Amino acid sequence: MTTATIPRPLSFAGAPPSAWAFGVRIWVAVVAALAASFWLELEAPASAAVTVAILAVPTRGGALDKARFRLAATIIGVTAAIVIVALFSQTRDLMLAVFAAWVGLCVCAAGLLDGNHAYAAVLSGYTVALIAIQQLDAPEHVFESGMARGAAIAVGVAAIAVVNDLLAAPDSFPQLASQLAALHRRVRDYAKPVLRDEATDAGTAAGLLRDIAALRPEIASLATESASGSIRRAAARSTAVALVAAVHAARALKAVVAATNPAMDDMIAASAHSPASAWASRESLRRISEVREGLAALNAGHRPLCVWRMPLYRSRAIAAAAGLRAAACLVLASGFFVLAGWPSAEVSLSLVALVIGLGAVSPNPQGFTVAAFIAAPIAAVLAGTLEFLILDGVTEFPLLALALAPFVIGAMVAATRPHPMVASLGRLNLIFILVILSPSNPQSYNANSFLFVVLFLCTGIGLLLAAETLIPPESNERRQSWIMASVRRDFELVLSKRDRRLAPEEAMFRDAARIGQIPASGASHRDSAVLAQALSYFDRAAAIRLGRDSVARLAETSLSHLAAEAEEALATQDTQRLRDVSLALMHVAGAGSALAEEISGELTLAAIVIDAARHAASPAMEAVS
Amino acid sequence: MHSFSELVVGDVFVAPFVVYAVAALAIFFALRPILRLCGFDKLFSNPAVAQLSLYVAILGLLTVAF
Repeated sequence: MTTATIPRPLSFAGAPPSAWAFGVRIWVAVVAALAASFWLELEAPASAAVTVAILAVPTRGGALDKARFRLAATIIGVTAAIVIVALFSQTRDLMLAVFAAWVGLCVCAAGLLDGNHAYAAVLSGYTVALIAIQQLDAPEHVFESGMARGAAIAVGVAAIAVVNDLLAAPDSFPQLASQLAALHRRVRDYAKPVLRDEATDAGTAAGLLRDIAALRPEIASLATESASGSIRRAAARSTAVALVAAVHAARALKAVVAATNPAMDDMIAASAHSPASAWASRESLRRISEVREGLAALNAGHRPLCVWRMPLYRSRAIAAAAGLRAAACLVLASGFFVLAGWPSAEVSLSLVALVIGLGAVSPNPQGFTVAAFIAAPIAAVLAGTLEFLILDGVTEFPLLALALAPFVIGAMVAATRPHPMVASLGRLNLIFILVILSPSNPQSYNANSFLFVVLFLCTGIGLLLAAETLIPPESNERRQSWIMASVRRDFELVLSKRDRRLAPEEAMFRDAARIGQIPASGASHRDSAVLAQALSYFDRAAAIRLGRDSVARLAETSLSHLAAEAEEALATQDTQRLRDVSLALMHVAGAGSALAEEISGELTLAAIVIDAARHAASPAMEAVS
Repeated sequence: MHSFSELVVGDVFVAPFVVYAVAALAIFFALRPILRLCGFDKLFSNPAVAQLSLYVAILGLLTVAF
């Protein structure tokens, strides 16, 4: 008998070497940013260190892309700060109201974007807080303050870019390729002939579509990584779009098998019995091979054969509601500080704006505020230990660099942990420690200002938590109803042929991104019903678009009258007429025509998918209504 | 003696190094399609360091030449 041992992955103190390497890289970058800022005698050296903490992303491409947006958003934010101060510096209350409106607008814009675009939107919002609100009592210094922050951010960006390059930070694309390959395996498993009940099947398909669409921001950041970054991004986009198309093809195949013989669970046997099954199997295999080609192009750095875009879907209603809520929270916090009449409360208010902004781009804003509320006192204790116990009056830079090491590396190792709360605490702790310590040259070691900053930080976040509790976010049911209303609206556009901007596969990806945003755990009966209904629309819209694309090839031929009839049948979802057109096409063109056979198969498949989707949607509609 | 001229934008003096750094970055990004065609990434075992070195070389050349 032989035994095989699987080597345990290398780890130190429970974290893999890659996490420790990431921590060391960020520590070196923080030290380099501080050294450069001190050497250049910048006015806000702490901003350079905080920039590194915010840009702390494990991959090189991710950090570079975020840095690009951080620089651009700082320019927008500083410009907005100067305009707001120039117009409203004489009327404090009006200025606070305009500032709240600006932050609300930026949070709304972030809701309409994703990834680093969304981050740039919220950064434009809270930069105004850091520049204009912190200079509320000295508006003439807004320009200098903006310049100082811009310079510090540029130094921070340069520090992390150089350190990531020299210390061989990993590229994003190998990790992305393995994520896409894992999704490819899941899609193939989903396509296998396994009997599932409708709710489980809807949950699995929605989960797949959600996970594929969630890769969009990472794919977008591939372009900045290397010279071939834009080509790899095109390959990754095509792979993701092909994966969504493969999920649709697998669902179509299941629908055909169920329609041809509900008792039969063997797709190969089914394909022998029905031309539609044969066509559906061929389509499924074609989509799987498109995914393989995309993955090969991504790994090799070649341009993919099919170049597809990844259109983004965002609910305007949800984004507007988030923007209004952010503005209302900020108004409440500002009102509290104005009534309290505390000196230097603007620091606290700017921290409130910062947490609102960063929370808006996190998957769970309320959870983010709770994490910030927990992280603030922890960071205060750690920063106090660092400043008054470890450094305690030290003025030498090497000692500051050494003392920062355990705090920065520890926080970054925690940020790589799989548990979302631990990861958030790690990331927030590093930012808060650097904000509270606020390294400067020379360091002041003023216990009074330390206590003030800690007090403002904890008060600001506590106040925000209270405001967010007073103004709760929209319920999941409400957001579901908004997204479903948009699904129905877009489906009407599909039927009326007014959605011709995108290729069928690209439109499928947009629909998948929308399904990914439906807040549903799948645990409750209502959630399953909403997902089933959304998938029914997804299937029907995809079948109609693919059918239209197919019959468009008959437009210039002698069979154009049949093409027009098929178009009409698709627009009215008349499945019997579609089957009749399909048969007529085969009859007129003869058995030998490959094109007619292909289009006939596509139309029959569309008819089966539409029937199956309607059948699946009817119980779901009853449950939702 | 090489003199560095400051860029003045609306009475704001911008350090010459910032202008060189931004110009080098613009040239570097303009060169990227050519680098891709040349297979630059495949020529080096660590393309990231090679790209950084190229940027530093462009920055140095600009500083010396202008």
